[in-house]
Amino acid sequence: MLSADALVIGGGATGAGVAWDAALRGLDVVLVERGDLATGTSGRFHGLLHSGGRYAVKDPAAADECVRENGVVRDVAADCVEDTGGLFVTTPFDDPAYADRFAAGCRTTGVPCEEIEPAQALREEPRLNPGISRAFRVPDASIDVWKLVWALARGAQDRGARVLPYHEVVAVHRSGDQVHGARVRNARTGTEMDVEAAVTISASGAWAGRIAAMAGIDGVHVMPGRGIMIAMNHRLVNTVVNRCQMPTDGDIIVPIHTVSVIGTTDVPTDDPDDHTVRPEEVDAMLEEGERLVPGFKRARALRVWTGVRPLFEDRKENGGATDTREVTRAHALLDHRERDGVAGFLTITGGKLTTYRLMAQDTVDAACRQLGNARPCTTSTERLPGSEDGEQYRIGERLGRRELRLSDDQLICECELITRRRVEDAIRRRGTSDLDDLRRLLRLGMGPCQGGFCIYRAAGILHGLDGIGTPDANAGLLDYVRERWKGVWPVLYGDQLRQARLDEWIFQGVLDIEHLQ
Amino acid sequence: MSASLRYDAVVVGAGVAGLTAATRLAESGARVCVLAKGVGSTHLAPGTVDVLGYTPDRVEHPAAALPEFIAAHSDHPYALIGTDAIAPALQWFAARIERGPRPGYRYTGDLDRNHLLPTAVGAIRPSALVPETMAAGDARSTAPVCVVGLRVLRDFHATLCAGNIRRAGIDARAVEVEIDVGRVEANAVGLARRFDDESFRAAFVARLALLLRPGERVALPAILGLRDPHGAWSDVQRRLGRDVFEIPTLPPSAPGMRVYNALLAALRAAGGRLVLGAEVTDVEREGDRVTAVRAATSGHDTIYRAGWIVLATGGFGSGAIELGSDWAASEMILGLPLQGMPMPGEARFAADYFAHQPMAAVGVAVDSSLRARETDNVYVAGAALPGAVPWREGSGEGIALATGHFAAQAVLEREGATATA
Repeated sequence: MLSADALVIGGGATGAGVAWDAALRGLDVVLVERGDLATGTSGRFHGLLHSGGRYAVKDPAAADECVRENGVVRDVAADCVEDTGGLFVTTPFDDPAYADRFAAGCRTTGVPCEEIEPAQALREEPRLNPGISRAFRVPDASIDVWKLVWALARGAQDRGARVLPYHEVVAVHRSGDQVHGARVRNARTGTEMDVEAAVTISASGAWAGRIAAMAGIDGVHVMPGRGIMIAMNHRLVNTVVNRCQMPTDGDIIVPIHTVSVIGTTDVPTDDPDDHTVRPEEVDAMLEEGERLVPGFKRARALRVWTGVRPLFEDRKENGGATDTREVTRAHALLDHRERDGVAGFLTITGGKLTTYRLMAQDTVDAACRQLGNARPCTTSTERLPGSEDGEQYRIGERLGRRELRLSDDQLICECELITRRRVEDAIRRRGTSDLDDLRRLLRLGMGPCQGGFCIYRAAGILHGLDGIGTPDANAGLLDYVRERWKGVWPVLYGDQLRQARLDEWIFQGVLDIEHLQ
Repeated sequence: MSASLRYDAVVVGAGVAGLTAATRLAESGARVCVLAKGVGSTHLAPGTVDVLGYTPDRVEHPAAALPEFIAAHSDHPYALIGTDAIAPALQWFAARIERGPRPGYRYTGDLDRNHLLPTAVGAIRPSALVPETMAAGDARSTAPVCVVGLRVLRDFHATLCAGNIRRAGIDARAVEVEIDVGRVEANAVGLARRFDDESFRAAFVARLALLLRPGERVALPAILGLRDPHGAWSDVQRRLGRDVFEIPTLPPSAPGMRVYNALLAALRAAGGRLVLGAEVTDVEREGDRVTAVRAATSGHDTIYRAGWIVLATGGFGSGAIELGSDWAASEMILGLPLQGMPMPGEARFAADYFAHQPMAAVGVAVDSSLRARETDNVYVAGAALPGAVPWREGSGEGIALATGHFAAQAVLEREGATATA
């Protein structure tokens, strides 16, 4: 059994942010996550750090939050952020009247916005549709969510927090009007244990209704809005590019690391674990990409994934709207002592990655009120591990570092420039033997070849370090190949099909992994 | 004005299928030119000739399994050319290797029984015809195996390989030999060049010998020489006083390059020509005959006129067939009709990686003589053909070799008929 001041359920950006905030205020924290950190909604988005522009017309409150948080996150999580800048452009397919509403919305909500000549936008982003008629510069940026969530978790750990990935909540403990922890199951060993806590914080996003139900609390209705995103090989743009129109499908391209991601759709679903990709969604997304960047459909699509937005609707107060785009993007903090008369239990859901810190602050403030802790929040000034110098990430950093030491170390993943030492360090530091964990930590296998060369190498290194036995190495290799395929096949055409064929020859023709015993 | 050259046959593609068809035509007296954008899959493949490995159960005896396989797969290339066409192609290939520029290097095996050879991950893979340098790895032997890794070679992991060989029931362990090659990483081909050097081999063997136990066979990554693999392998075997065998690594492949070198030497010995870096940009036609191809090489176009065209360009993997984002597929040189495409609305791929993949068997539609549909004089060989899933069947080089050999035969028969008439 573990005991703590605060038990945080959920290891996405919000949960990790809560753990970091609470740990900074001197609370003893345990964080549990059913999978690896950042594998729910946080790990399944397009990587945009919002300027607020997207919400300037439609959701001024959300825009206002984004404006403030954008500036804070750039500083405290500098190493996770690339300052790409952002553009809103009016293409020939967009309502030309929206641009003025957009500019007015930005003025009202305080989103920094500068109109530039379309010709200037085209000089900066030559692949953009030459037919654009208006262009606005905003401070959008891209953010590496895995780096962010691990930095938050590491920072919390440095201050005594216990972070437990692969621990799923199976029961929430409640006696009368008081929640006092939860029972969790270690997904790897199957063993269960109790975590006793003075306050239990559900930061489980789209899964919040399920956790609340475990505490016997009804009406926490999170309607998952499912969206697809497609990663294109190369940076088709180097600036975040948004369509200047009301939010709709496929209206943004985010350059992040070596790829660019187009997003997204919005389909209501009942199941937050529903990762269905419909062929018509893919086709529609490619069409929209073509409108922003002519030639988009001939570029190489690496993979597609889906994420679910946790769109909160309090069924205790009203009956529901069903168009998920109409539900507010603002976050919802439920203090169940006030809402339901159940003390020691909070739910934080809704919101968006850009405002994870604010969500954490509101939540830990509420927790502190219940605990009688008066320490103020310091996350808006305390820089995260790895971001101490306040230097933002720049594309080309890895190559720059690698070039200095070309003759020192082997390259294991050529696409993402990952060296043998980094793979070995990550295995030791994380204590993981899971190739998919390594993927999120290092971006291993996330480039054009999708693991064709590096996954055998990484499995061999992992096995050679005595971390795992042969059956586990085999299972890891097979699971990795199967998992990658799920995101590859719905967008498999052109050069990426050619690449997939090479990978098939390697995995099946050269290695024959299918017939491992 | 473009230069114009005249040949009896132009073969497009320089993989096993293209080089086999071209060499066979040249050996029969035809004037042949091979045009290729680059080298083919030889440089990526393990260098074994896999005829039929899985149906989907593991095949021990290809000759015995082929009739039933063909009966169940009537559009498979083997069904078109017939099982009788396979053995002569294998014999032809083995003879070209033996006659080749690498003295003593030879292949061993036939259709009666597959070799069962460990892969770099230690799975046991069935192959009909294999380099002599690999044969001692057969999993039917119970002799213990010592798998040798080199830290410098990231494309071969000895402990994982040995772990899986052990799971297949053979006593196996791994050792690592440290040897300085002047850099932190090298690929299999770079190391193979070093193993052509006797003093390098001697130094390597001196270190390795200390690590071996009595009675062990020695498994090395496939790095035993490019210029003289027979010499390198025999030398290492003699110095160690025991059986030594190679295991193919991740690409690039030294044994595959040996195949390429041998076939290219045979082509040249027969008077044939290879133009690498020649991308076909256009063709000339008269009715249903393709009379010339235009190829761009180093900045200028050349027109190659020919009576016969053999298309050995490969499938989706080489870019010879492309699937667009509109989900339409095209053969890129001649726009030939394809066979095996899923209908619009049907699934193109299965969500399970190891399930049947509908797109896998798409290829250029041909008649039973391998002649492309809607053409009179274009023959198709190798991975461009429909009906096979070679990476799963374990049939890639078998199909390439047998159909390349067969396409040449088909051309020669038509040529003979023309000459007689």
